[in-house]
Amino acid sequence: MRRRPGIGGLQTAAAARDQYRLLGENVAKLRTDLMKEQLATFRSQLEEFARKHKTGVQIVEICLSTRPLNGGLIDLQELCKLLRQKRKHDREAVSEDDCLRAISKLKTLGSGFEVISAGKKKLVRSVPTELKKDHNEILELAQAQGYVTVDEVERRLSWTHGRAIDALDTLLDEGLAMIDDGHSDGKRRYWFPCVSSISSFGADS
Amino acid sequence: MQKLGDFKLPHFFNYPPYFTLQPVRETREKQVQLWKDLILDYCRTQKLFIIGLEEEFPLFSNPVIERTLSHEAREAFFSALVSEGRAEWLDKGHRKCLILWHRIQDWAGIILNFVKDNGFEDSVMTVEEIRSGIESRGTELHGIDRTILMRALKILEQKGKLAIFKGTSADDEGVKFSV
Repeated sequence: MRRRPGIGGLQTAAAARDQYRLLGENVAKLRTDLMKEQLATFRSQLEEFARKHKTGVQIVEICLSTRPLNGGLIDLQELCKLLRQKRKHDREAVSEDDCLRAISKLKTLGSGFEVISAGKKKLVRSVPTELKKDHNEILELAQAQGYVTVDEVERRLSWTHGRAIDALDTLLDEGLAMIDDGHSDGKRRYWFPCVSSISSFGADS
Repeated sequence: MQKLGDFKLPHFFNYPPYFTLQPVRETREKQVQLWKDLILDYCRTQKLFIIGLEEEFPLFSNPVIERTLSHEAREAFFSALVSEGRAEWLDKGHRKCLILWHRIQDWAGIILNFVKDNGFEDSVMTVEEIRSGIESRGTELHGIDRTILMRALKILEQKGKLAIFKGTSADDEGVKFSV
C-alpha cells in the first residue's frame, strides 16, 4: 500500500522547508557579514598601506618625471629636496633616512629602484640599467665639477683612451650623460645631470 | 632664477650641455622640446614675430655660462617648430623664421573677439588701425606682425566675415566687417 502524504505530512514538510529556508538565509547572511568585514579590513589595510607607502609613491612620481632630464639616476639629496617640495602641506617632514627606507621597500617590489654610491654621493637609480664599475668611477669623478673630459678620465683613472671613450659613450647612450662642445678650450665635456641639482644648474667654472 | 628683463629663464638655460645639439635621440628629443617651448614662450611674452637665425637674439647665448647655440642647433630647434606648425621659414636659406606663438586660426579668432568686443560688426577700418589703433591697445592685436594679420584676415574673408579692399595707397588696405 502506497503511503500518501496526509495533511500532517504536508505540514511537516512545509515546516521543514521553512526551517531549511531560514537556515539558508542565515548562512547567506553570515557569509555576507563575513565578506563585508573582510572588505572593511582589506580596505583599511589598503589605506594604511597607501599612507605608509605614500612616500614611496611620491618617490616613484619624482623619479619618473625627472627621468627625461637625468636618464633615471638622481642624487638622493636632490630627490629628498623635491620630495619635501611635493609634500609642502604635509605635516610629516621627510628625512634622508625616510627616503632610503621607502626606496628599500620599493626595491622589494622589484621595480628596479636602487641606491648606489658614487664617491661621496648616493644616487637613486630608477631604471634597470646596470652600472658597471667603470661607469661608477666616472660618476665619482664627475662630482667635483659636474662634468668630465676624456683627458681627465684617462689621466685620473689611468685608463686607455679606448676604455674612457667606451665608458663615456655608454653613459651617453643610457641618457645619463650629455655632451657639451661649447667651451672655449675646445674640449668636449660630458655632463652628468644626476650629480647636479636639476633645479639649479650651476655655471661652468 | 635668471631673468632676461622681466622674463624668467628656465633652469635648463643655465646648464651648458643644452647649448650643444645632443647626439642621443631620446636626449635630443627632450632638448628640442625644452627649447621649442622656451622660444614660443619668449616670443609670446616679448611680442616677437620674426627671428633671424644669424642675428643677435637673447636666447641664442647665455653669457653667464659662456655658451652659445651653434647654427646647427638653432636650425634644429626652429625646424622643429616649423614641423609642428608653430613657425614658418621666410626664406629658402632658413635664415629668417616667422614665429606663430598663436596659430593663424587662433589669430583669426582673436580678431573676431576684438570686433565683437568693440562693436565693430559692421564697421570699416584700415588694417593699420586694427594693429595700432586705440582700441587695439592692451590687446594681443596691438603690434601684430602685418603678414600674420593679413593671413588671418584672409581666412576670415574666406569665411565671409569680412571683405578686404585696397585703399588709396599701398599702405592703406582696409577691411569691411560683416560679423
